[in-house]
Formats: sequence, C-alpha cells, structure tokens
Amino acid sequence: MKNQWFHFILGYVKVEVKGKYTELFLRRCLEQHVSIWNVQRVDDLTISCYLLVKDIPKVRVLLRRTGCRLHFKQKFGIPFLLKKTYSRIGFLFGVFIGLFIVFFLSNVVWTIQIHGASPKLENEVKKTLHQIGVKKGAFILLLPSEQEIQQMLTERIDHLTWVGVTRLGTRYSFEVVEKKIPEESERLNPRHLIAKKKAVIHKVFVEQGKAMVEERDYVNKGDLLISGIIGNEKNEKILPAKGQILGEVWYVSEASVPLRSTIVANTGRGMNKYYVKVSKLSIPIWGFQQDGFSKKETLIDTKPIYFLKWQLPLAFQKKKILEIEQSKRILTVEQAKKLAIELTEKDLKKQLPSDAEIKGKKILHEKIQNGKVNVAIHYQVIEEISQEQPIIRGD
Amino acid sequence: MAKWQEKIKKWLIKKTELPADALLDLPRVTMIGQIHIYIENHKGVVHFSNEELRLALKKGQQMKVNGEGFVIKTILPEELLLEGKIRKVEYIDV
Repeated sequence: MKNQWFHFILGYVKVEVKGKYTELFLRRCLEQHVSIWNVQRVDDLTISCYLLVKDIPKVRVLLRRTGCRLHFKQKFGIPFLLKKTYSRIGFLFGVFIGLFIVFFLSNVVWTIQIHGASPKLENEVKKTLHQIGVKKGAFILLLPSEQEIQQMLTERIDHLTWVGVTRLGTRYSFEVVEKKIPEESERLNPRHLIAKKKAVIHKVFVEQGKAMVEERDYVNKGDLLISGIIGNEKNEKILPAKGQILGEVWYVSEASVPLRSTIVANTGRGMNKYYVKVSKLSIPIWGFQQDGFSKKETLIDTKPIYFLKWQLPLAFQKKKILEIEQSKRILTVEQAKKLAIELTEKDLKKQLPSDAEIKGKKILHEKIQNGKVNVAIHYQVIEEISQEQPIIRGD
Repeated sequence: MAKWQEKIKKWLIKKTELPADALLDLPRVTMIGQIHIYIENHKGVVHFSNEELRLALKKGQQMKVNGEGFVIKTILPEELLLEGKIRKVEYIDV
C-alpha cells in the first residue's frame, strides 16, 4: 500500500469481480501493474477488491480476457467528492456567501466612540463625522485615513484643540480635547496699568483710574500708565484701573531672499491608482493608464483588510500621483527686495496681536551678498501696551 | 549446468553469509503472530478463499496457508500481505 492519501486524491473504487477464474484475473492484474488491495472472497465465484479509478480501463481489458464481470460497489476519493459537491452547488454557494458576509462586516464601521467632549461638542463632532462619511455601516476601505479625518475635524470645528483618531478593527474612537475659553473674571481686583514695553504713547483712553501719561510721552517698560489710586491724599480711593493705552512701538524685522531658487509646485494634475496588496505584491485593480508625468510625487495610503479580528495579508492600497513642477525662479534685485519686504511684514504680523496696526516702515539697510538680498526694515507699530499690576497695600 | 550453478550458490551462502532468499529465489515468509503473514518472492495466487490461500513458488512448488477470515491487504508482483487468523502454513510439491 503506497499511501492512503495518495489513493484518496486519485480516487478509488470498491468492486466485485465475478467469474470462474478470479485468481487468474488477480495474476493478470499484477502482471499489468494494476494496484489492488483488500482482496476478499465473497463467494465461490466472487471476490471483492479495491482499485484505483485510473486503472479501470486496463482492468476492463483483463476482465474480457479472463471472462470475469465487474460490479462497482462504492466510490471514494476526491474526484467523486467533487462530483458530489457539484451536485450540491447551492450549499457551496451558501458557504461562500457566508464567508463573504463575515468578511464584509469585518470591514465596516460598527461603533464610533467620542471621549472627552461636552455633549454639545460631541454632537458637533458627530455631525462633522457624518459629513466626512464616518458613520455606522460605512465601508472602512473607502474612508479617508485616520490622519486625514483628524485634519478635517480640526479644520472644520473651531473650538477643538486637538482630536486623536484611532481605529481598532471596526471601531473608531475619538479623543477630543476642547478649547477652554477662560471666562473673564467680573470682579476685578484693584490694580494699575503699566507699560508692557518701551513705546511712545499714541493714544490714551481711560475708563477708570487716573491717567499718568499723555500722548507723545516716552515710556519705558514698567512705567505707570493708569493709576488705580484716585482722589487726593485725604480722600484716597483704590480701584481697578481700566482703559486702553495705545503706544507706538518700534520693531526691526529682517529677511533674506535668494535671487535664484528652484520652486516645487503642484500643477494640479494628478491621478489615483488602486491596488490590492497580497503580502508584498501589489496588484493594480484600477488606474492602469500611464501617468505621463515627468516629475511626480506619490502619496500612498494602505488599508489592511480584516477577517473578524485577524488582519489578512491583504490590503487595499490607494496611490495618489501628483504632477509637480520644478521651476527656476530668477528675480531682479528690485523684485527680490520687494519680496523680502513682504516677508518681513508677514513675519512681524505673526508676532503682533491682532489689533495692532502698522503705521509706517523704513528700510534700515539692504545688502546683496552671496546672491541673496538681505533687508532690515524698521516698523512703527501702534499697539496696546498696557499690562495689569495689582495694587498690594500693606497696612 | 543448472545443478552446477545451484552448487555454487549454496557454497556461496555458506561461505559469505549472503541471504538465502535472494540467491536461491526462495520465498521469505514473515509472520506476526497469527494475524499477519507477509510473503515475498511468490509467483502468483493460485487459489484464494476466506479459509485458504495457495501461492505458486518456483519449480512448481506451492505454499498453502490455512485459517479464517482471509483478506489480501496488499498484493504486488512479488509480495503479498495476508490478514486474518492463520492456522497453518504448508509447502506442497505438486
């Protein structure tokens, strides 16, 4: 016996051989190298034995020669099993549909959890997620990546400082950190307003308290602007000073712009390619055409596919190919200077509070060095310069 | 001539301890208790029933195995494995 499994794969049958010369038949079989096993005598004229399916044509010839007849009793092995399954194709179909459903449901959003948000914000986050497409029953493969969702959320909801997006299987969880807007304390403590920085006073507006400076006065940091102590020495009263002191502050901002530079920019043209990744192999399923871009940038987003909780060695991959353009920029000295000035202004505005106003600017110096234009600009800025200082009286 | 060859073979077996079945073309019979009998170098089945198996050997000799419930588990051109309850093994000169 070679191997039971081997027989099983090839397929075998149990047969009964009927005839006067069954022993002769056995001998002929051996001569022709037909493998036979489990030979048993049934009655005087009959033996039962097992044969491989592939040997049946050979056996038929031998039967004719030895004057025996063959009856099939039972069939075993894969060829017969396949035939049987074919006749029960509906059942097989059902199994595949079942597998497909499980597979499909493993790749669908089931729960969305939002932590750390007030009910109002939570509602807003939910709404925004709905707009993005993250909702129960959405197909995970078609959703943007976690990072993209995070970005979209922070962009669309104002009072959201940070949101952490994690996906665990079919569950999305969002960790929300809300912006805390401090409530202004209504009860003010007695205080002075003092200068925050060196400046020339531009405008004085006192709501409460006694102005200590006038327009065009020069103040240093820490100088008293509005006093919280009013009245004369006999009748003194301490109160919180309130008001607005605008001062003219000077800033120097520097920038340098190279005359020659290369700029990388998207041309706006691009295409998406989709792949199914089988372990390391990527099989394209959509987007076969050549991109034809001479210079390009490729963004890859890979989404693993799950079966229940197990990650399959399959993944859905989206490649975003963007055409980019590299261009040499050559500026004249005038242009570079202009650009540098714009840069300094932008730079300055970043440091200034939003209500500050640039009153004037003056080029302090400009230099062309190593193919770069360096400028230093002097800015006069009108801004709020007052700062609170509590009055502490030790009696 | 044949006899002369036979003599040389017998002499070789004696002197070199070569196995007899290989040189003289004799059957090698292995039995496992009563349940299995394994016969090599047979020359074909002459008769087979539930109680008896008769095998051809060389020179018209036959081997007869008696017992109950015989099943030929494996049969190859020179080998045979018989299963059942073996009572008797016998050589018959026909």
